[in-house]
Amino acid sequence: MATGIGLSVYMFSFFNTILYKDLPFKDGASLMVVNASYQGQKGERKINLHDYLEIRENVQGLSEFGAYETRNIIVSSRDGARRYTAVFAEANIFQLTRTEAVLGRTYTAAEDSVGAEPVVVIGFDLWQSQFAGDENVLKQTLRINGDSHRIIGVMPQGYLFPHSAQIWLPLAVDATKLPRSNSVDIRGLAHLNEGFSEDDVNAELSVIMSRLAQRYPETNSDIGAYITTIPGAGAGDGQPVIYTMHIVAVLILILASINVGNLLLSRALERGKETAIRVALGAPRSRLISQMLWESIIICTLGGLIGFLVMAWGLEITQPIVATFFADPLAFWWDFGIDAYTIKLFIAMVLVTILVTGFVPAWRNSGGDFNAVLRDGTRGALGKKAGRLNKILVVSEIFISMTVLIASAVMVLSAYEQSHKDMGAETDNTLLANVLLTEKDYSSHKDMVQFAKTLQASLENSVGIDKVMIASALPGHYSVKPNIAIQGREYGKSNNASYPRANYISIMPAALADLGVELRQGRYFNNGDDGLNKNTVLVTESFAEQHFPEESALGKQIRVVDSKSTRLQWLTIVGVVEHTIQGNRDGDAASIPSIFRPFTQLPTQQLTIAMAYTSNANLAAKSLRKALQGIDSELASYRIESYQASNERITAPVTFISNLTALFALAAVVLAASGIYGVMSNTINQRIQEIGIKRALGATERRITLEFLWAGVKLLLWGGLPGVLAGGFMGFAMAQMFGTDNSALILIFISMVVIVASTVMFATFLPTRRTLQLEPSQALHYE
Amino acid sequence: MTKTLIKLENIKKVFLTDEVETHALSNITLTINKGEYVSISGPSGCGKSTLLSLLGLLDTSSEGLYQLAEHNVSNISKKERARIRNMEIGFIFQSFNLISDLDVEENIELPLTYRNDLSKTQRKQMVSDALDKVNMSHRAKHFPSQLSGGQQQRIAVARAIVGNPSIILADEPTGNLDSKNAEAVMQLLDVLHSEGATICMVTHDPRSAKRADRNIDILDGQVVADQHTSQKNTNDIAAA
Repeated sequence: MATGIGLSVYMFSFFNTILYKDLPFKDGASLMVVNASYQGQKGERKINLHDYLEIRENVQGLSEFGAYETRNIIVSSRDGARRYTAVFAEANIFQLTRTEAVLGRTYTAAEDSVGAEPVVVIGFDLWQSQFAGDENVLKQTLRINGDSHRIIGVMPQGYLFPHSAQIWLPLAVDATKLPRSNSVDIRGLAHLNEGFSEDDVNAELSVIMSRLAQRYPETNSDIGAYITTIPGAGAGDGQPVIYTMHIVAVLILILASINVGNLLLSRALERGKETAIRVALGAPRSRLISQMLWESIIICTLGGLIGFLVMAWGLEITQPIVATFFADPLAFWWDFGIDAYTIKLFIAMVLVTILVTGFVPAWRNSGGDFNAVLRDGTRGALGKKAGRLNKILVVSEIFISMTVLIASAVMVLSAYEQSHKDMGAETDNTLLANVLLTEKDYSSHKDMVQFAKTLQASLENSVGIDKVMIASALPGHYSVKPNIAIQGREYGKSNNASYPRANYISIMPAALADLGVELRQGRYFNNGDDGLNKNTVLVTESFAEQHFPEESALGKQIRVVDSKSTRLQWLTIVGVVEHTIQGNRDGDAASIPSIFRPFTQLPTQQLTIAMAYTSNANLAAKSLRKALQGIDSELASYRIESYQASNERITAPVTFISNLTALFALAAVVLAASGIYGVMSNTINQRIQEIGIKRALGATERRITLEFLWAGVKLLLWGGLPGVLAGGFMGFAMAQMFGTDNSALILIFISMVVIVASTVMFATFLPTRRTLQLEPSQALHYE
Repeated sequence: MTKTLIKLENIKKVFLTDEVETHALSNITLTINKGEYVSISGPSGCGKSTLLSLLGLLDTSSEGLYQLAEHNVSNISKKERARIRNMEIGFIFQSFNLISDLDVEENIELPLTYRNDLSKTQRKQMVSDALDKVNMSHRAKHFPSQLSGGQQQRIAVARAIVGNPSIILADEPTGNLDSKNAEAVMQLLDVLHSEGATICMVTHDPRSAKRADRNIDILDGQVVADQHTSQKNTNDIAAA
């Protein structure tokens, strides 16, 4: 019971905290985020500002709109520079969350306009850590990206909206001055109006976006919009996994309940004659029920309490574990622990299990035909009703354990495959760091290229560093994924062909070779590719196979479909390298091909630096800080970690869920094995006299054993086949999501069937053998 | 010439429970001939049911020799014991011991299903014959719970005789029955005996014991008397 209730409540509480919890401010439940979708696929895409404004004007189901986006910024101070993730938002964002500043004020609409004085609102923790909680902070400024911003307000402790923010800045964007094709992408916020559901609003949005697609096909083809809760936005494409985990949690609880219920039912059946005698002596039904119910109450309550304690401990350690999955602080509503929801759920589960395991059998047993029980002269056999019930229990246990095992095995295998996928680069003894160049000091391409070259040269001359690779994103990391067009091919609505997408990465010339990304055809970048007027590109072999299956990709021309630019810039493929994975490892995401531009042709303000070191990581980090300080003291590096750790962090959530499911699978096997053994043992025990009769009539031990094994096989088929189907369905859904190989699925099915079948056969064989050790005469007189 | 069916020599049975030895039977020596109708009597706990279990190969003796149809069955394998029980012995128990999940026909057929030498048709015929013999053909499809105690015992008798065993062992066959049903069952046994069946019956009902040809009295695990019924009656009259 402890296992069942503990695991189930933990799982429900975990997902409730992440996805369903109400945000901790007034009207938090009705606050929605407006995201874009592409070709029907959701995925937390930002929405075009003009689309957002159109929605704001026309949708009925939403009100109180606000827009924001998050960007990395550099905050410089006496102590040096530091990177933060800031929220650039419209002035009413604070009103949307019904929260006022605890010191000073938030910014006004006037301050949220182009050309207004730069102001900033800071978070409570930042106020405490950087300004020691000084009440005079409103007289101070914060140097952000090289510009001074006046501090006008401090938000209350714990306010981190929309995720983990400590700095809020005006969005300051004028939509009238930005053409649709060259606008900004933002995240929309709005409150859901009373009387409207998410589905209602999503239907409205579908109509609006269809209209926009017809009106602006160049920018809005295949673009949709949808709303979701802010916590729910985190689910994205992970719905199958979430549903599976919830189902698995419920199944574990049912399994535990069946075990306890069977135990109590067996005891009730054993005492059937005693109960009949009590009734004959005048015992009221309520008395009989309460007698049987107390056992259930004690077992379920005690088991539940133990489960609660284990679950509480589990939730407590979940917070620090989950924190390691993300480079940034956790979302502010992710507070894993015992809350009102958890307690209510726990109480409800205990009550339900008491009802199911205790009250229902007690009610049934106390209302039977006692006369028949008292008269019954048959010996040994179980009785039709009890026998049928036992079979149902065993079949249920087999079904549940099969389902849970298959689904869990697929999850574990998928997570293993994901975490061991070849990113395409070598990660040993390599330290990573990120640097953000400020807009103010590095606005030109020349400045950015110069910075990268200077940094690379400085680091390569540092002690303990062997190679330096600089890029906008390294293999394994997320990158932008623009649409790509291939010269000579038609795209657009006229022939229903949509642009393919590819990861788009800027990288210093020698970086790919130094990272161990193998060259398949052509050449790597070299100094001849330097210069903004050079238009060369490397593609991965996955790109070449996808778009040039029958011919060489070398010399072919492609371009990035950039609706913001009117100039068509064709890029010539000069080399093909091995496939690299950028970002998610699952299914389709891992197979998205990549294209690389020389950093000198396409420099970026956000850089990732990889340093292959010969001594140790600390020395490399020190060298980096020193090099940065020497180039520009207002720059800071952040997310300094090993390449391996960086990759592990990306797959850590999946690995965590996979470990949980493995725990569930183990619990399922143990519960099912003990449950099935208990039921079969009980069944066989109740048939000892029947076995004695059959042996008296000449049945051999082999005959008896085969008879019971065959009964076990039938139960296995009854429970196992539906279990394979149910587990297979869930496993297949997850496998599609993660891109797990189908042949692996078949192997999993077979393995799990073997495990469950072996468990059932052993659970049948062992009690049968034990019973057959009795002499027939002992079995005949067994009580 | 009368043929010896069962021969026991110095049979001992000791039960070991929680390191306590219980001598259920001591130095039992007796023979039972083919066609005999033997009753075994004695007070509760004297070992008569234990003796019947040994005779029926439901248990094994601690010491001694047991010959059945001139074959030493003292130390045979479990498989062989099961075979002999199936082919040679028919059991009738005090509490009927019918299988509640099976109907009357299936209960009677049960021992025949453990044989490899009978077809389904043959089994069906043998079951039908046995049902006729006990006058229960009209209840063939009923379940034991739908029968009275007397009817259940008649079914048990049918099951015991369906395979034409060499010997019928009955352990207090009328113990759970009223006098009318008990009489009916005893009459059945009389009929079987008259048709040549060898019957060994444990009873502590003197009226039932008198119906047997021979009475064996057991006390504290030992045979204290072994008399033919006619001789016993003569002795009783003489004593009176």
